Amino acid sequence: MVPKPHRVLLGRVSGYADEAAAYVRRRRALRRPFARLYYRDGRAEDHAADSVAGGELFVAAGRLIEVAGKRPKT
Amino acid sequence: MYPPTARRTTAIAQTATTVIQEARAIGTAGIFTQVPDGETSATVSGDAAEAALAFLAEMSPDLRGAAILDAGGSVLAANGDADRWSEDAAALFEVADRAGGEAVEQVHIGTEQGEVFALRHAGLAAIAVTDRFALSSLTFFDMRALLRDLAAGGSGVPDGP
Repeated sequence: MVPKPHRVLLGRVSGYADEAAAYVRRRRALRRPFARLYYRDGRAEDHAADSVAGGELFVAAGRLIEVAGKRPKT
Repeated sequence: MYPPTARRTTAIAQTATTVIQEARAIGTAGIFTQVPDGETSATVSGDAAEAALAFLAEMSPDLRGAAILDAGGSVLAANGDADRWSEDAAALFEVADRAGGEAVEQVHIGTEQGEVFALRHAGLAAIAVTDRFALSSLTFFDMRALLRDLAAGGSGVPDGP
């Protein structure tokens, strides 16, 4: 049976809304700051921003970002 | 008597595979820790380091700035203020080494303002700052390739595959 036209429209709108919500969720997760250290034995360590080491790493990174400045326009 | 033999053969093959995988998992880390990654014996020229930076900029469209440092922390090539790069790179490695209690090989930090990549290899170090969401594995690969080339006394532009 063919669905009623307004139901098709509603289905599409809610589909787009779901897609958008998933995108925003992924984006939020990706934008979270991180500090990751890798060692010669292949080990990796994450340091949270609210830890002492993490805070120091973010400060040091911030200074390097400042030195690098903005990307030159091409 | 075909089916029982086949079952036994399969069981033996699976056991052997498991052992091999286990041995590989145990042995891999050991192999990498034993690979020598000593200091570079070649003198790295400023021109080669500049060429390496140009290569990195060409390969990484997200790159904002980068620097290459020697074992003593002196800047061989950098975009912008060399003294600031030297000072801030030393601060980053110092903090990173202290955080884990041993010398780090790679540092990757992502913030709202951008991402920082730092790599030590063969007594040299490279620091790169990129926009957010740069491809980290490719960036590290390019940085490692150019440091390896510089350490080997190359021109700073790694050969293709």
